[in-house]
Amino acid sequence: MSISGLSYSPWSPIFWLLASVVVMIMAYFFRRRGQKKYKKDTEQTKIFLCGEEVPEAKQRHIRAHNVYWGFFETMKEYYDANIKAHTGIINDYIIWFLVLIAISAIILFIVGIV
Amino acid sequence: MVVASLAFVEFLVIILARDIYLNGLHIYTLGASSPDLTIPENYIVPVRIILEVDSMSIFMAIISATVSLAAAIYSLSFMKGETGQNRFYTLLLLLVAGMFGMVLTGDLFNLFVFLEIASIAGAALTAFRTKFADTAEGGLKYIVISTVAALMVLFAIGIFYAQYNLINIGALAHVMQYTMLDKIALVLLAIAFMMKLASVPLHMWCPDTYSVAPASITIMLVVASYACLYALFRTCFTLYGVSPDMVTVGWIVITLGMLTMFVGVTMAVFQTDIKRLMAYHCISQTGYMLLGIGVGLAVLNRPEALNTYGIAAMDGGIFHIINNALYKGLLFLTAGALFYRTGTRDLNRMGGLAHKMKWTTIFYIIGALSISGIPPFNGFASKLLIYESVYRFNPILAIVAMITSILTLASFTKAFYSAFMGAELPEYQEVKEVPKSMIAGMAILAAGIIFFSLFPGLVVERLAHPATEALINQGAYISGIMGGGG
Amino acid sequence: MTQGIPFNVPFLAVAALIGIAFYIIVSQRNLIKLVMGLSILASGVNLFLITLGYREGGVAPIYTHAPAGIMVLPVPQALTLTSIVIAVACLALMLSMVVHIYRHTGSTDSEKSRIMKG
Repeated sequence: MSISGLSYSPWSPIFWLLASVVVMIMAYFFRRRGQKKYKKDTEQTKIFLCGEEVPEAKQRHIRAHNVYWGFFETMKEYYDANIKAHTGIINDYIIWFLVLIAISAIILFIVGIV
Repeated sequence: MVVASLAFVEFLVIILARDIYLNGLHIYTLGASSPDLTIPENYIVPVRIILEVDSMSIFMAIISATVSLAAAIYSLSFMKGETGQNRFYTLLLLLVAGMFGMVLTGDLFNLFVFLEIASIAGAALTAFRTKFADTAEGGLKYIVISTVAALMVLFAIGIFYAQYNLINIGALAHVMQYTMLDKIALVLLAIAFMMKLASVPLHMWCPDTYSVAPASITIMLVVASYACLYALFRTCFTLYGVSPDMVTVGWIVITLGMLTMFVGVTMAVFQTDIKRLMAYHCISQTGYMLLGIGVGLAVLNRPEALNTYGIAAMDGGIFHIINNALYKGLLFLTAGALFYRTGTRDLNRMGGLAHKMKWTTIFYIIGALSISGIPPFNGFASKLLIYESVYRFNPILAIVAMITSILTLASFTKAFYSAFMGAELPEYQEVKEVPKSMIAGMAILAAGIIFFSLFPGLVVERLAHPATEALINQGAYISGIMGGGG
Repeated sequence: MTQGIPFNVPFLAVAALIGIAFYIIVSQRNLIKLVMGLSILASGVNLFLITLGYREGGVAPIYTHAPAGIMVLPVPQALTLTSIVIAVACLALMLSMVVHIYRHTGSTDSEKSRIMKG
């Protein structure tokens, strides 16, 4: 079933699935031709870290607040302003509500006059 | 008991949906000698409480029924061991009743009553686990903003009553003059509903409340906020209809929708609490719906634009509601499963859980791919509809929508990596898979997602498009109440 | 009854009540005072509804043994009754939540007792 009514590119997941099955078969075919010397559960599959000792699982896992560090560093000003706005105080939520009502009412009146 | 009754409700709703698809609008007048006697004898206006169900209402009812069924099944294990189980399920059914009342009623005051019922039940359920310190805070925030919003709705109803002596939506739309007072009422209604559906900059209660509520209640609150979205649509399309200022209202909705999308997703990337992260996504996905519907609203007065892309945008927006209710529900339930086993919502303290919780991981992947709009999942289908139609309205809006989608994928990758991937952590050696009823609750939503992914055309044709038609066709709704003349 | 009072005095009272209520809600950080503000807001809106239905010199809209003359509108009174009941439920729920917040954090200040932000 595809979504009709659009001007171009009708979207049909059935065709997409068929295409992806074809791609998977091809990928499997290429994988079959790969390295033959790989063996499970031997020294080959251990983590290799330049010959250094591998740290414990606890130290190895990168924790959530370190992920995307660069992105947050670049967007620092945006985030500082935004987090400052999210005070978590219930009174401020109502202030936003009143301000938005006032702004929308003014916009509607101005448009009504013009 | 609860599950059985909700399953029965789901069954009834589906039968009604089929009937409405075939026969059109349904009316039920409470307390009248015959259900379709909307205007009593010797009166010229309707005075009784009337339920009016068209395709849009039944669309929302299907969402409510499905999600509450999943939530009830999930709660069976999730809330085990809490005190006051009876009260929990009573409140849960009350919340379901509030949602159904909101979407099925044809009466503005009734809408207010059910809005408050849903708010009270929702807030009580949010603060249900009083042993945690933060639940009462989340509940208080929810009830305070709900009360303020609902009182503003009541004030707007008062304004209508002062002018027309009517509180029925169809009858009001019939006599609407669009005076200055009506404009004030429109602003009050629209912004109050925006507050309830967590549109930026009125969204800040949303992460606070959603993150502390029990996971099964969070997804009900999501659906309750979509019932408010429905109320917003009813106000804009059916109550005010084709009035001269709809272009402005449409642009206000679009602007708020863009802000909602972008601020929601950028704040989501930053979060380290898994349920706060998902709550911010909930906000950002609401932006898509507001965008789709806002475009429809802005071109409502221009038939040729409406036919070329306006209807497609609205189809996309409405289709996105049901998609989002399903995959966001699934994601919140997986977050609840993580909390159930690890006892924390903090992503910094999680890791390597995929080794132990295989089903949860699979459901999380389905939900995350779907919300990020990765083909072939249903999120892609509705987002594609929105992108294509909005691009023809204004390309910049579509580009912001795509950036939002990319950031969505980024933040769910972050959550996936920190919670599920990595080596097994020593503190989670004892963790097991969650109980069967929680898996069943998640499986219902996952099955819904997969069905919608495989047959998006069917869903758009049978559910979303009739709902759009019902919104645009103001005359049909009015003539349902006022009789043939319209 | 209120004969002789200009018709828009109640509306001024409504405006004053709603204004005071929003001032309290916005400015007072004490959660109990916030709840009081919400209660005043509810009263203001209820007064608005009742005033809409009032007709000069009207009697209560009960048909049994009704004296001759005009009646006030019954619908706003029904609306107000419902709204009062709802407001009481909200009030009770909010107060109980404030009690729980006080138990857990030892404060009823909306800034000091907040746990979640950002």
